[in-house]
Amino acid sequence: MDQVSFVPQYPPPLPPVPAAFSGDRGEFFRLAARGAALELVTVGFYRFWLVTDIRRHLWSHTIVDGDAAEYTGRAKELLIGFLFALAILVPIYLVYFLISVEAERLQGFASFPLIVGFYAFGQFAIYRARRYRLTRTVWRGVRFWMDGSGWAYAWRAMLWGLLALLTLGLIFPWREAALERYKMQHSYYGELQGSFEGRGWELFKRCWWLWLLSPVAIVLFPLAPFFYAEFKAREWRWWLSGIRFGGVRVESTLPRTALYGLYWKVIGWFMLLSIVTGAYFGLCGFLFAKISGAEPDTLTKSIPLLILFGIGYLAMILSLNVVMRLYLQRDVWAKVSGLLQVHGIEAAANVAVRGDLASALGEGFADGLDVAGF
Amino acid sequence: MDSTAADAAVAGPGGGPAIYFDGLSSRRQEVVVAFKEALEITADGLSPVSSQVSSQVSSPISWAYSDIRRADSGPGTLRVACLSAPSLARLEIRDAAVAAELMSRCTLLGENRLDGRGIAKIVGWSLAATISIVVVVLFAIPLAADRLTPLVPEAFEQRLGDAAAVQLKTVFGGRVCDTAAGQAAFSKLIDTLRKSADLDLLVQPTVLATPIPNALALPGGRIYLLNGLLAKAETPDEIAGVLAHELGHLKHRDSMRELIYNGGTSFLIGLLFGDVTGSGAVIFASRSLVTSSYSRDAEQNADTFSIDVMQRLGRSPKAMGELLFRVTGKEGNRSLSILAGHPLTEDRLKRMSEADRPASGSPLLTDTEWSALKSICGPGKS
Repeated sequence: MDQVSFVPQYPPPLPPVPAAFSGDRGEFFRLAARGAALELVTVGFYRFWLVTDIRRHLWSHTIVDGDAAEYTGRAKELLIGFLFALAILVPIYLVYFLISVEAERLQGFASFPLIVGFYAFGQFAIYRARRYRLTRTVWRGVRFWMDGSGWAYAWRAMLWGLLALLTLGLIFPWREAALERYKMQHSYYGELQGSFEGRGWELFKRCWWLWLLSPVAIVLFPLAPFFYAEFKAREWRWWLSGIRFGGVRVESTLPRTALYGLYWKVIGWFMLLSIVTGAYFGLCGFLFAKISGAEPDTLTKSIPLLILFGIGYLAMILSLNVVMRLYLQRDVWAKVSGLLQVHGIEAAANVAVRGDLASALGEGFADGLDVAGF
Repeated sequence: MDSTAADAAVAGPGGGPAIYFDGLSSRRQEVVVAFKEALEITADGLSPVSSQVSSQVSSPISWAYSDIRRADSGPGTLRVACLSAPSLARLEIRDAAVAAELMSRCTLLGENRLDGRGIAKIVGWSLAATISIVVVVLFAIPLAADRLTPLVPEAFEQRLGDAAAVQLKTVFGGRVCDTAAGQAAFSKLIDTLRKSADLDLLVQPTVLATPIPNALALPGGRIYLLNGLLAKAETPDEIAGVLAHELGHLKHRDSMRELIYNGGTSFLIGLLFGDVTGSGAVIFASRSLVTSSYSRDAEQNADTFSIDVMQRLGRSPKAMGELLFRVTGKEGNRSLSILAGHPLTEDRLKRMSEADRPASGSPLLTDTEWSALKSICGPGKS
């Protein structure tokens, strides 16, 4: 068509601006290591502060169009949210117990469907936890926020989950797209409403062969990390490239092989730590038998030795925790946000503030129910 | 760069350029800050920063130094907020000299940072919480279990037992042995024990066909004898002792109490700490230590009950200990005694032997009844 020339001339769109991550890896390592040690001393209560510190670090080093984001959530909010969630979960667990007694009386293990109820509750928690995180995310003095209903989301997640189960996971891409659409339609940056343009079909086209090959990964399990890393990279890229806030468009150029190294490094560290711990156990047992002259089969009775084993075990778990946080949280974040382009940023140049803060109750539920999700 | 702002910026202690977000919109404004009585923020050193609401005559913005707090920012930037300004209003200073000057003037800049004292407080409170939980687990929950158990209605306990029975049968394959002669002998044995113990509970005894040597009592008066134990028994007294032990559990309503106790402790410990880092393992270890000591007490009491019943019948309490010893062998070297849910078999045998007296009562079962009971699951099967 030649007649397009009379179309009024809009100013040419500005080139996309890249996002960047400027965090220092050593600083994050010290943060995670200190946090792991304090978590041990406080039998886990420090987790609220550690999670907050990690988010503050990641957010404040993520720079879009020259301005760093900010995380304004505080650990005390998480602690209070957790305590509230506990107060709500206690009666629920009691009712669950009573119902399951009745159900079991009729049929062995009939209470299994009740687990489905907890799954729904977990989905609700995931939605509300995201809402908390989003309302604590600030960029250029304007916060993100979210409305919509956690229960409406949980219903959708349950129905899509059932479909995914029936189709052996083949429908997973459409489930992801539909749920993300719901979440993004209810997300806002000030007065800019979000939306999600990723299509299930797109993700399916990129990942169907991984789905087909997944039985191979079970047999040839060394392949599994490759598959997982490949899938994750494709999923990240698809997800980020679908995000919109008003006229602002995000585009990810994450290569499909970007996460291979990270997963293998975690596996390598895991093996190394296991070997070191195993050697330490062996050495402790050997020295102990030498010194005390006890017979090998009485060794498991000696309390000092058990304490030594316990220390070794804890040291291993703590180091593993630091490794996971460093590679799977910080490095993934740095890689993903470093390969991000933001188009149409001028639409976000003068956005008015709107929306309220959400409570940390959702995060509390997610903690109490041990669910995680974006 | 706005050239007027850059020109008016007086570098050094007097003031300098900064970037201002008013906390009402995402507009990025280049401003000039001046260090006066308070921190003054103007568009170019003179005119006030333009406001989002244009009709409003905007006065120059001034932030009191004592109200200024640091906010998170990337490297090379000092980002501050002000308590008396909109909560998301931010001032970003990238000029090192200006940032240093501002930092020296704001004494409470890092007020909402977590310092050493803050961490010590968290650690202290966590320790206090841990201690209070330990106290609750060691003292309050056992007390609650003791007090609550009599309050649980029999009907509910019955239901609980029904539910557990359905699961138990699923786990053990579910074949109930009920040869008429065997069942008659089994009922006779139970009735004798029950009468001697003065127990007017409704008892439902069942033998299950499984090679596992064990016996158990469920809430609501159900006693299960697994055929594996029957096969290892040599005299009726051995089985009678075990059944009396299980009757003891029923009388003390131990399974109800244990349910309340275990439910309470796992719930408290599991939910409160979550399973983060290695503390999960520590919690698991300490929990099994605590609950096993609790159930060890219950076992001890059931043994006392069994010894008592057998003595009243004029039969040997030692027989049960011998049967257990045959099943488990010597346990002392194999496991940590403080971790075991039962007292060690050799200790139990010793205790029962001490209570042993020559038989004065008549045998509990005749030889024919005993062999009928032994073959309750069919001949030659164990």
